[in-house]
Amino acid sequence: MVTKTKKFEDELKDLETIVNQIDSGELTLEESIGAFERGVMLVKALNGKLDEVERKVELLTRSAGGELRTAPFEASPDDKHHAGAKDDDETPF
Amino acid sequence: MDGQLDLSMRGRRSGPISVSDLVRMVRDALDANLGEHWVVGEISNARLAPSNHFYFTLKDSRSAINVVMFKSAFNRMRFKAVDGMEVIVRGRVQIFEQRGALQLYAEEMEPRGVGALQVAFEQLKRRLEAEGLFDRARKRAMPYLPRRIGIVTARGGAGLRDMLRILFDRFPNLHVIFRPAKVQGDGSAQEIADAIADLNRDGRAEVLIVGRGGGSLEDLWAFNEEIVARAIFRSAIPVISAVGHEVDYTIADFVADVRAPTPTAAAQMVVPSLVELTERVASLGASLASVMQRELSGRRESIDDLAARIRHPGVAIAGARERVAEIEGELADAVSSRIAERRRSVRELRLRLRSPDAMVREMRLATSRLGNSLVHGTRSALEGMRRRLGALAGRLDALSPLKVLDRGYAVVINKTDSRAVLDAATVKLGDELDIRLARGRLGARAIGRTI
Repeated sequence: MVTKTKKFEDELKDLETIVNQIDSGELTLEESIGAFERGVMLVKALNGKLDEVERKVELLTRSAGGELRTAPFEASPDDKHHAGAKDDDETPF
Repeated sequence: MDGQLDLSMRGRRSGPISVSDLVRMVRDALDANLGEHWVVGEISNARLAPSNHFYFTLKDSRSAINVVMFKSAFNRMRFKAVDGMEVIVRGRVQIFEQRGALQLYAEEMEPRGVGALQVAFEQLKRRLEAEGLFDRARKRAMPYLPRRIGIVTARGGAGLRDMLRILFDRFPNLHVIFRPAKVQGDGSAQEIADAIADLNRDGRAEVLIVGRGGGSLEDLWAFNEEIVARAIFRSAIPVISAVGHEVDYTIADFVADVRAPTPTAAAQMVVPSLVELTERVASLGASLASVMQRELSGRRESIDDLAARIRHPGVAIAGARERVAEIEGELADAVSSRIAERRRSVRELRLRLRSPDAMVREMRLATSRLGNSLVHGTRSALEGMRRRLGALAGRLDALSPLKVLDRGYAVVINKTDSRAVLDAATVKLGDELDIRLARGRLGARAIGRTI
């Protein structure tokens, strides 16, 4: 069964194996159907994994007391004039 | 230390010391207090001895020192050292005891230009390498599909902008955790090291990109600092170094799990393309459906096949009966056609047989026909021959010597050898001769001879 913890690349490999197994014609009808069902679930899981994470950029900072803080970072790839630029070097590199 | 030296001098005050002792004392003092150094200066009086040891004077605006570079070190040098060249020499100062002269024994030399930073770089690199920080064995594998990516670079730099653009182009729904750090100038190395440590404490990122855009060697220097190297080494999260400096490596590059030549390249290698992955999954899904369909339709066909072959026993028996009758018919047909065939060949053979009487009659006829034509043929052949003979005789007659005799000539034949006499010399006196005339012949004897 497909587990949540399995890695994307492992699931991709599993799916390939299933397609090859059914294609080889070595499975009984019951096994083929079982493999097919597993394959369908893998396709769903893989697509789910590709959509899983929400797009965001977070700014990680550390307070004077050593605490880590996160805040949304509003820098779209095309916008270099974001609000946060202050203490760092302004050299364009 | 001065005090110690004073004491030792006082201890020897009893008498003067030898030159050798003095020189040895200088040697010991040098050995104890002067280790290896990188020395900057200009080459002068460079000369290569026949032994292949290289001698020169290293000088700056105020001082000079003689330098010896032994053959083995000299041969390792990748550039040609000439007078006037600014160089950095690594070596140890020792005293050449025979002459009491100070000499720098050079182990290594580099052209200046690259400068002291290069020296520091080489030293740190050698040290960290020896410590095992660059070992391939400890490099961690990159995650195949990291969804949370930690970035350490300057806020507002081109490096960050490029990385975000490429990352989101390849994979739009990523979670980037950006930990800004000063990447050049005072304190930058410490900031980079702290940033790496902070991302590790945060712990959500699956991979870190640490870098900056291109710059001069001095600009990139933070990435050659030991604290950055150690922070990368300590990171529990795999690190990609991404210092925009295509040609040379930084220390960070050596320690990192993966080295990217630029921030852009790092972004490209850290995540696969979502489009490609989606296509891959979709095409595998399509294959899954099609192989299953083929599998099922294959089975359906074999079921249809089997179903078509199942029949009621009565039907089978009727079929068998039909088949038997069919075979009987075929058998009868075969037998009668075989008989008819035999009859035909007998008739043919009979036709080809004939009575002996007829054959005899026929042969007789043929014989008499042949006899007639034989008689006929023989007769006409004889006549032909006769005609040819007459013609030949006429021709022969014209050529006959007897014709000459008709005109009064005679033929003389020597009876001893029966030959015609053509030369008097062949006839001896007394020989019998036979003279043939046109009509008749005369016997004669040779009674005289003129040759």
